[in-house]
Amino acid sequence: MKYTINTPEGTRDRLFAECRDRRRVQNALTALFRRRSYAEVSTPEVEFYDLFLQSGNPMPQEAMLKIVDRSGRILVMRPDCTTPIARVAATKLKTLPLPQRLYYDETVFRSGAEHRGSSGEIAQCGVELIGAAGAKADLEVVALAVDALRSCGLERFHIELGHAGFFKSLAAGMEMDGETVEKMRALIEGKNFAALGDLLEPYADRSACAALARLSRLFGGVEVLEEAQRLAGKNEALTYLHDLCRELEAAGYGDFLRFDLGLVHQIDYYTGVVFRGYVEGAGDAVLSGGRYDGLVAAFGRNAPATGFAIDVDAVAGCLSAGEPPRLGVLVHFAPGQLARALTAVDGRAGGTCELSPCETLEATLSLAREKGAARVLVLEQQGERLVDVP
Amino acid sequence: MTMNTNRLRLALTKGRLQDKSVELFEAMGLDGSPIRNPGRRLIHSIPNYPLDAVLAKAPDVITYVEHGVCDLGIVGKDTILEQGKSFYEVLDLGFGRCRFALAVKEGSDFYGTYKTRRIASKYPNVARAFFEKKGMDVDIIKIEGSVELAPILDLADAIVDIVETGATLRENGLTPIEDVAQVSARLIVNTASMKLYQTEIEDFIARCEAELEKRK
Repeated sequence: MKYTINTPEGTRDRLFAECRDRRRVQNALTALFRRRSYAEVSTPEVEFYDLFLQSGNPMPQEAMLKIVDRSGRILVMRPDCTTPIARVAATKLKTLPLPQRLYYDETVFRSGAEHRGSSGEIAQCGVELIGAAGAKADLEVVALAVDALRSCGLERFHIELGHAGFFKSLAAGMEMDGETVEKMRALIEGKNFAALGDLLEPYADRSACAALARLSRLFGGVEVLEEAQRLAGKNEALTYLHDLCRELEAAGYGDFLRFDLGLVHQIDYYTGVVFRGYVEGAGDAVLSGGRYDGLVAAFGRNAPATGFAIDVDAVAGCLSAGEPPRLGVLVHFAPGQLARALTAVDGRAGGTCELSPCETLEATLSLAREKGAARVLVLEQQGERLVDVP
Repeated sequence: MTMNTNRLRLALTKGRLQDKSVELFEAMGLDGSPIRNPGRRLIHSIPNYPLDAVLAKAPDVITYVEHGVCDLGIVGKDTILEQGKSFYEVLDLGFGRCRFALAVKEGSDFYGTYKTRRIASKYPNVARAFFEKKGMDVDIIKIEGSVELAPILDLADAIVDIVETGATLRENGLTPIEDVAQVSARLIVNTASMKLYQTEIEDFIARCEAELEKRK
C-alpha cells in the first residue's frame, strides 16, 4: 500500500463547497465576535501534554493526538482552545486589566475512534470572557451564543442551559461515597431513567433524593425550573438560572432557550452555568460552553471565566449549501495589456471571470468551451470585443 | 426525525429482539403489522403512530442513533457495553435477558496461577473492562465464531461470552464461574433528537413505561 495518496483516518481533503460553507460560517461568527469587542488570539497547534494535564481538562489522554519531540517530551496537537487561552491569560496577558474578551478561529485535533465516520480535525470558533464573574457576564455570553448561531443563518435551534452547582448541591446532601456519586452522575448524564431510580432506592429517606431521581428528566422549557424547585426546595443554582432566564427573555432571547438540569458532563471542570446548542439537522450538540472559574487559576492567576466553542463544520452542515460562482468570461489579452486584463477580472464577481493563459484566440475559445464559459473578452492593443463562444 | 416530517425514526435490532419489540409496540397500541410483514420495504411506517422503523444489525443500531439518522434505537446492553456510547440510554425494556459470564473448562482453576491468562471473546472491550476493574492483566483474543472452541483447543484459558441457559457451555465441558454483566434490551435516544423533538420522544417513552409497568 502506498501511503502517499490517501489521507490518514480522521482527516480529509476539503474541496470547494466544503471550504466555501466553512468559511461562510467562520466569517459570520468572527464578524459578530469582533462587533462585540472580542479580540482574536491564536495559540500554537502543538502544546506540551502537561499543559492539559495541569489544567484539569477532562479530556481523556487517548483522545489527544501525541508527538514526542527530540528531547523526549510529549507534545499534543491542540485538543481544545480554552486551555491554551487560559494559559495565555494567566501569563502573557497578566498585566492587562480584566475582563478580557478573546475569540479564536482554529482547528482542534482529536484522536477519535476508528471507523466512526467522525473527523479528527475540527474547525472551532469560540469566545472566552476572562476575568468576569456573575450574572452579567453569563448573560453576555449566553446571548452571544444565541446570536452566533443566528448570525450563521440558523433559525431552528435551542441553547440549553444547566448549572453545575445544582447537581453538586444535591449530591452533597446524599452522604454517598465518591464512587456512588460518580455512578449516579453517569446515569444522569446518560438519561438512564430506570437505572437511576434503582441506584437511588436505598437512599429514599434523604431529602435530595426526589430531585436526583427526576434529574435525568428535568429538561425542557422554563417549567422544569419550577418542577425542580418543588422537588429540591430553595436552591441557589435554580434561583440563578431563573434570574438569568428572566433577563434573557426580556431581551428577546426567550424563544431560543431551554433547560437541562441533567447537564452534568465534566462536572469537576465547570463551576456554574453550562450550556449547549442543538440545531435541527445535526446529530449532536454544535455549541458547548459554560463557566469554569478554576481553569485560569490552574496557571497562577485568579480569574473567573466563561466561554463557548462552536463546531464550524457541524453548523455548516445544517445550512443549505451556497451556490458556487459560475465562470462566464475568459479574458484573452494581447501583449502589454496585462493591466487592462486584470482590471477586467477584478471588476467582475469572484469566480465568474478569469485570465486565459493561451497564446492564440482559437486555443482560448477551445478552453472556454471546455470550462463552460459563455464568452471570451478579447483585449487588443486598441479596443476590446466580447466574443460568444460557439 | 427528518426535517419537516414530524415522524420519529427508530432503528430496531434484527432477529431475537425484533419480535419482542413488535410485541411491545402492539401492547402499547401501535400497529406492528408493517414490521411483521416487511416485504421488500426498508423503512416500515407505523400507520397509527408517527414512527418509522428500520431493521439493522445491533452495532449498526448504535451507529445510526449516534449519528442522528435515527432518533431512537432498540439494542441489547451487550452491544452497548462493547461499543461504548454517546447517546441516552433511557429504558431497560426487560426482554432479551441474558448475562455475560466468565467461563472456563470444567475443573480448571482459573485464578490459581501466576501465568497471564488468555481470554477469548467476541466482546473484547467487555472482557478488557471486566479484568481492568479487577486489576488483572490478561491477554485478550478476539474470536468471531464459536468462542467455546477456544478453551477446548487450548487457545485460551477462559472465555467471556453471552450465556442464556448455559446449555451450550455444559455440552462443551465449560462452566461459568463468574457473572460479568447483566444484559437486556434497551431503548436508546440520540442526544440532539431528545432535545429537539422532546414532546414526541417523551410521548413514546411514556407509552413504553406504561406498558413495562403493567408487565412488572
